[in-house]
Amino acid sequence: MPYLNIVEVESAVASLSTAYPGLTQLIALPEPSVEGRTAHALRVGAPEPFPKDCVIMLGGVHAREWGSCEILVHFAADLLEAYQGNTGLGYGGTTFTADQVHGLLQRLDLVLFPLVNPDGRLHSQTPTADPMWRKNRNPAYSGGSPDPACIGVDLNRNYDFLFDFATAFAPTATPQVSANPCDPMVYAGPSAFSEPETRNVRWLLDQYPRTGWLVDVHSYSQDMLYNWGDDENQSVDPEMNFHNPAYDGTRGIPGDVAYAEYIEKPDADSAVVLAEHFCQGVNGVRGLTYKPMSGFHLYPTSGTSDDYVLSRYYRNPGQGKVLGFTVEWGTSFHPPWAEMEKIILDVDAGLVAFCLATA
Amino acid sequence: MSAVTNQSLESLPHDILRVRVTARNADTLRALLRDVHPDVGGRPTLDADGSVSIDVYVPDDRIPALEREGVTVTRVGNASAAGRAAQAEVGQGDRFAAANAIPRGLAAKLGG
Repeated sequence: MPYLNIVEVESAVASLSTAYPGLTQLIALPEPSVEGRTAHALRVGAPEPFPKDCVIMLGGVHAREWGSCEILVHFAADLLEAYQGNTGLGYGGTTFTADQVHGLLQRLDLVLFPLVNPDGRLHSQTPTADPMWRKNRNPAYSGGSPDPACIGVDLNRNYDFLFDFATAFAPTATPQVSANPCDPMVYAGPSAFSEPETRNVRWLLDQYPRTGWLVDVHSYSQDMLYNWGDDENQSVDPEMNFHNPAYDGTRGIPGDVAYAEYIEKPDADSAVVLAEHFCQGVNGVRGLTYKPMSGFHLYPTSGTSDDYVLSRYYRNPGQGKVLGFTVEWGTSFHPPWAEMEKIILDVDAGLVAFCLATA
Repeated sequence: MSAVTNQSLESLPHDILRVRVTARNADTLRALLRDVHPDVGGRPTLDADGSVSIDVYVPDDRIPALEREGVTVTRVGNASAAGRAAQAEVGQGDRFAAANAIPRGLAAKLGG
């Protein structure tokens, strides 16, 4: 089975919803992409008479990171088949019992949104186009430039977290984000949530207020990242936080004492434990070592999904607390499909382990 | 094996190359990233001698912009060519169009 084209990602999700009507719900996202495509998510979970906690997982945000969609489609397919068939799951050396699969889907709702950026993926997969394309395909900010790099927004810089990065970060910091519409990779857009694709993700969060965790699947570096991405973590001074302007111009420098991002200690500990469970699940498959670490230790960022979801709680505790994670699978953007199949097993084992650890 | 290391892939003008940038220390790498703002991939890795490396994606004519004192640049492969090879592995049509064509996961279904 080769990589999925964008029709097949949507068709796979719809097919699963048809095949497992008692265990799934097909969710149409409210806003079409810039090129007019409607995306769907799939809620997976056993019906229960009590409200359930929820894990949201995103894939296909960055166009060139193709395997992220397949990871989530296979994750859903495995869980549904195992639940209905009352079997366990074997991912190489990482195994889960039928009781674990049943318990997972009875306790949690999984909302899987495997293709956030269909326009970008189509472009990246088109033989006459650039396979290294990362952004969406919005031409609105190009100013009429013929430069193809002036199309699109990096969706994972478009969320409302330190969106004004030039003010938030220290002048010597190196956040991987740009305000230049012609940056070919990390243009953040003219404003937070300027793009329909990121507004769809926000809508999902609003629709599932019992969401406690969000996992955004990306590539590459073989890491499991947790909050925060703008600076190192600290749990001592709650006033030293992303929405305190007194710290503008100080964020993003490693190893300094000027700034570190506040996270409540239980959440900091929980994030590490969950990331470690993910990495242990991966490791059991074929021995690969994925590294749990905060997003900042990959490189400083702003406007990412994982930090946005937790920042909602710190801005307004009434919105509920969502810990954010980013999987960075693999060692290249376009592994041959034979290698991608192995990566799918790695990551899906990690995701099952992650979900089980949320109990 | 990563596809981008396959040197037999056909190269075209303006292809994006995968290069390994190794700086003598973290400050040197940070300065480079701040000045050049390249497309990076993967995680910075700290080597035993204190140097720091990261993957960078650039067209051939942008490689000189990465080269400076304290920095070495090693060509790893042609990322655009690897991407084109992967484009040949993208499905055609809709493999799930038939009513009985349900996606199957790759995990083994254990026991019963």
